Amino acid sequence: MFTYILNRLGMMLVTLWAIVTLTFFLMHAVPGGPFVSERMLAPEIAAALNAKYGLNLPIWEQYLNYLGRILTFDLGPSFKYPGVSINSMIAAGLPVTLQTGLLAVICVVALGVPLGVIAALNRNRWPDTTVMFIATLGVAIPSYVIATVSIYVFALRLGWVPTFGLDDWRGYFLPVFALSGFWISFVSRLTRSSLLETLEQDYMVTARAKGLRKGQILFKHGLRNSLLPVVTVLGPVVANLITGSFVIEQIFALPGIGRQFVLSITNRDYTAIMGITIFYAAILMVMILIVDLLYVWLDPRIKLTKAAA
Amino acid sequence: MSEPILSVRDLTTSFFTRRGEVQAVRGVSFDVHEGEMLGLVGESGSGKSITCMSVLRLLKAGGTIKAGSATFEGTDILSLDEDALSDLRGNRIGVIFQDPMTSLNPTLTVGEQVMEAVRRHRKASAAEARARAVELFELVRIPSAAKRLDSYPHEFSGGMRQRVMIAMALACDPKLLIADEPTTALDVTIQRQILALLKDLQRRLGMSVILITHDLGVIAEVTDRVLVLYGGLVMETAPVRELFARPAHPYTVGLLGAVPDLRDDTHKRLTPIPGSPPNMLAPPPGCPFAPRCVHAMSQCMAALPPLFGAAHQSRCWLQHPEAPKVDAVHEVAA
Repeated sequence: MFTYILNRLGMMLVTLWAIVTLTFFLMHAVPGGPFVSERMLAPEIAAALNAKYGLNLPIWEQYLNYLGRILTFDLGPSFKYPGVSINSMIAAGLPVTLQTGLLAVICVVALGVPLGVIAALNRNRWPDTTVMFIATLGVAIPSYVIATVSIYVFALRLGWVPTFGLDDWRGYFLPVFALSGFWISFVSRLTRSSLLETLEQDYMVTARAKGLRKGQILFKHGLRNSLLPVVTVLGPVVANLITGSFVIEQIFALPGIGRQFVLSITNRDYTAIMGITIFYAAILMVMILIVDLLYVWLDPRIKLTKAAA
Repeated sequence: MSEPILSVRDLTTSFFTRRGEVQAVRGVSFDVHEGEMLGLVGESGSGKSITCMSVLRLLKAGGTIKAGSATFEGTDILSLDEDALSDLRGNRIGVIFQDPMTSLNPTLTVGEQVMEAVRRHRKASAAEARARAVELFELVRIPSAAKRLDSYPHEFSGGMRQRVMIAMALACDPKLLIADEPTTALDVTIQRQILALLKDLQRRLGMSVILITHDLGVIAEVTDRVLVLYGGLVMETAPVRELFARPAHPYTVGLLGAVPDLRDDTHKRLTPIPGSPPNMLAPPPGCPFAPRCVHAMSQCMAALPPLFGAAHQSRCWLQHPEAPKVDAVHEVAA
């Protein structure tokens, strides 16, 4: 187990290096730069800025310099906001994103799974059709539509919640709802189909033949076996939610990193693009590792081996 | 013979599918006596498994018991509520299924799967349940029982898994054990071991067993009495020796003719039964076997024969006193 995790962490470093390299060169291949804007800078000033940030060096030298820096966990200074480091940029945006993201994750698990179970147990009856109708809408409607419509209804019309910001605890409702709506729908559909498949298994008949109580049959024998595909998607979902959504953060004016990431691209803020990409990739890989470890707990047939890494 | 412990009367079960009503069991009656091993034999779709799953009310979706009764130890199982029924299942009546590969939950240890049955029906502490599970594993001869409790199903071979299934079914000393093709999915050598184990356990524990199979060899080896099913009906029932010596129904004769005899060195060809089983969506009004029967008469197509006889019953018009005499039906296959 321990060696497996060490192995995986090693692999993650290799993957991260590949991501850094690819992103670095792709980013530089895109025309423009941090100091190119509509308001032309004097050539001397531009040259001075390029020199200050090392942008006048050959690209491979810039690359090696950057690699050397991130090895010390220094993601560098922002090219766009003087005096702001990327580390502090992430540190400022992360708490906001993390709060809404984690709440959304909780909603996805706490609502998506039970709704899927209810639907499966009432197959083709009204609770099933109701849940599946809403879930289909949830999967089909883009989150920004959910966000804007819910702002209009709950904030403007009903006045139950603020339209933007997180100053009030009620401010969390809409962003979390908009963030998690798609995934609640997705997870409830997945849980339903997976549980329906499990309920057909021979060992479910065995469980009934043993005279077990309904709850025991459902939770101990049914649900656990049907959660495997759900756990599989939850890894990337968690990574996705806790790294924030540009659209949602923009609509609700939340100062999270999802928003910063997109802004950094339009700004050609090289270090910010790199830093947030690395950060996102690392979180995604850690989540996938956690999912793989959860598998072993859920399904004893899965063994962790070096080969699997 | 003593009072039957299970008495099934006119059991009728249908499956409602998109294509219509599949009449899987069409009025089956039989008794199981104390300490008896009753064999239910028939080809796929004859209704043998559905009969037993109906008795336990473990039918898959769409299956409905339309009529009949199943009296076990004085109570009609078919009219019990779900709670009372679950008190009975796994407690007074144990079940073993065909495929031990899929009938065990892959994510729970085999010990847990046995212990949960013990804890469900007996007020047993975790330690008592564990001790009982060890005892059961020893009973079904799983080597190093105590150690193997914590293994998962995938760590066992097919035969060992079937032993686990048997241990699970016997967890609460059932009065009746229903074994639904318990050896079909196993290797031939393992089949014999499992059969011998079942027979031995039946004798030692004094329970009754219903053994469902399509294998006449299995029937001959371990059962006391046989019920031959075809087209959702009992075609013939007799004590096992009587059935093999003097089969009275042309279908039974056909079944026996399709079994290879290894002691016979004349290289006699096996005689298959021509035709195919009836369509249970629209079963024929007469004898379901008539279209495949060499002795079929116009009467056979027109009306369903009753069961003739007492200890040895046969659902065939040839048994009617006024029927034409066919020279010893049981020699036709030879």
